[in-house]
Amino acid sequence: MHADKLVEAELVDAIEEAHLDLVDADWAPAVVTRLKQLVDQGRTPADWPQSWHWNWRNKMDRIRGLASCPTYAILCEGKVQGLMQLNDSKARCRIAEQAGLDLVYVDFVESAPWNRSEIVDSPRFKGVGSIMLAAAIETSRDLGFKGRIGLHSLPRSEPFYARSGMTDLGIDGTSENLKYFEMTPDQAAAFSK
Amino acid sequence: MKKTMTLNLTDAEMRALEQLSDKKDLTKTAVLRQALKLYQLVDVRLAQGGKIFFEDDATKEKAELMVL
Repeated sequence: MHADKLVEAELVDAIEEAHLDLVDADWAPAVVTRLKQLVDQGRTPADWPQSWHWNWRNKMDRIRGLASCPTYAILCEGKVQGLMQLNDSKARCRIAEQAGLDLVYVDFVESAPWNRSEIVDSPRFKGVGSIMLAAAIETSRDLGFKGRIGLHSLPRSEPFYARSGMTDLGIDGTSENLKYFEMTPDQAAAFSK
Repeated sequence: MKKTMTLNLTDAEMRALEQLSDKKDLTKTAVLRQALKLYQLVDVRLAQGGKIFFEDDATKEKAELMVL
């Protein structure tokens, strides 16, 4: 969505080399420019974009060929607007009512720098996170997991996952002290409505 | 795109599949898809020189899983 107007976008079910080339060309310069501004202003790393250090090419190299790690890209206006890496063999459910059952774990999800208010004053497109969350839920359903998903959230993204109806299971000391969120089939159904 | 195939299982294998299917609240197809991906993951990690351990949650004792 751009300026409250819906635009057509394409959800691609695999991050390919061409997408990584676009990310290298478009995303990195935008993040570096913002980092320089923040450093010049004397801001500490706590104020930097929370995923500034992510390198999608390295992430894709680590999972290349693994069927347990589906990936997605959102394309719009010739640009990559968002990327996501899932893992369906990494974690099990923690919520009591579904403890031990399989889920789709969201390893990484990121919107393009120009869509993020922490990097630009007027984000270009909204809805990338919601589309990716919907894709993770659909992947879960396709695998027979009934929409069960889980993830560890970077701090500034926590309100988004809470608003999306996921259960907040609090800080996970075993995972960089990030908050863990999980979705049940009922929550997934409510999100999909 | 998904492909369809016929699978021949022994009675013991079918029992194991049915037990996992019940326990995991998954269809038999879903169990087999997960098993395949886990097998591939293990194979790739071992080929990269990794090792697989089971750790006892209480004692923290580790036992290496030997994959032949």
